[in-house]
Amino acid sequence: MASLLDKPRLLKKLKSFHDYVRKNNGQIGTKQRGIDLNLNNACNLTCDYCFTNSPIGDHAKDTLPLDMVRSVADQADELGMFEFDLQGGELLLRPDYLFDALEAIRPERFYFYLTTNGYFLDEAMAKRLAEAKVSRVSVSIDSFDEGTHDKIRGRKESWRRAMDALKHVQNQGMDPYLNITVGHYNAFSEDIEMLCKYSDDQNYTTLLNVAVPSGMWLKLDKMAEVIVDEKDKERLIELRKRHKNILRNIWNPFDKNYEQVLGCNTVNRLYITPLGDVLVCPYVHVKIGNVFEQSLKEISEYGFRIKHFREHSPLCLAGENKEFISKYMSTEGQSIFNPSLAEDIFAKEDFV
Amino acid sequence: MSNKEKYNKAFMESFSIEETVLGESLEYNTIPEWDSIGHMGLIAELEDAFEISMEMDDIIDFSSYKKGMELLSKYEITFEA
Repeated sequence: MASLLDKPRLLKKLKSFHDYVRKNNGQIGTKQRGIDLNLNNACNLTCDYCFTNSPIGDHAKDTLPLDMVRSVADQADELGMFEFDLQGGELLLRPDYLFDALEAIRPERFYFYLTTNGYFLDEAMAKRLAEAKVSRVSVSIDSFDEGTHDKIRGRKESWRRAMDALKHVQNQGMDPYLNITVGHYNAFSEDIEMLCKYSDDQNYTTLLNVAVPSGMWLKLDKMAEVIVDEKDKERLIELRKRHKNILRNIWNPFDKNYEQVLGCNTVNRLYITPLGDVLVCPYVHVKIGNVFEQSLKEISEYGFRIKHFREHSPLCLAGENKEFISKYMSTEGQSIFNPSLAEDIFAKEDFV
Repeated sequence: MSNKEKYNKAFMESFSIEETVLGESLEYNTIPEWDSIGHMGLIAELEDAFEISMEMDDIIDFSSYKKGMELLSKYEITFEA
């Protein structure tokens, strides 16, 4: 695997990001960090809470042309973004397209990672990914109990294969990330405790994503069960301090005291759909542009003109800020393929 | 505080490790704490401790405890034998 020291372009961008955050009191401000690109929305699983509507086959056949994938990566690099995350859907349903995309992106420029359910990730595939200079693979695990995970995912063996996938990733020298979604329904469960301990014991990194009332969950109308409350948040902070291998995107990963909050990453990490629409993050389904019509620089500048995304927010807007959720994320039918338009939902005074 | 002590302190504070871990066998990625994020923290600690700004090539070449001492000599930081 190409380590950080073998990726000089990445190191330069990461240093610039680190120095910016340090000078900005540990906050992300308007420094951009990366791209989350939904390469294709087709998936082999039917997760209860999918935020991309994959289980209903939404836009399953659409893909971003490789020329555009290449252009997005070049622009992201030019803007100094150091992270590039490919996700779906399930990327490994179409490995040929995935590896073509990797060639277009040139992962040697980025801290490059895949987010996958791990179902098709065997040792041979892990080896191929490592050879393609993938730095990290994130695999979501919903429970330490096999039956519970498989029920949520809608397919038997999905837990075992996901757990095996993390091991293959580690064997091939990439960073294994065990992703856990935490909501009000499970924040204090023994299950979360066991998953965090397992990840720590295996020398994985744990990435906590707070449950967000969007996608399939928006339709289930379970917001009160989904959104973490104050006590739940305290629980996450306690886990962070105790385990030290736990990250959240809104936390400052450089803070050795495991306390600082980087701030909400909207616009700092842009989410791009297979149609080229650019949303402010994977979970806030608000469109600020399209890569076929504008440059990433223009789109980013527009996004940061919206005060909700420009100003520091210690809360994840999509998962923790109830006022933001009810005002801007509760439109009937809102999804990654049917996002609200920023110019429609924000008033003049929302822009700076 | 001597340069060696400052150097060791930067490692210990960046990675939250004991002094006994320091030595020639300590290299990038040989302990969980010295990963990409840890590397940034270490460089920042060293830049603060020695009041220097390291060149990108040196940050890339900073692959071990031993190599780091060699690189810092470029910044007129010497370590007693």
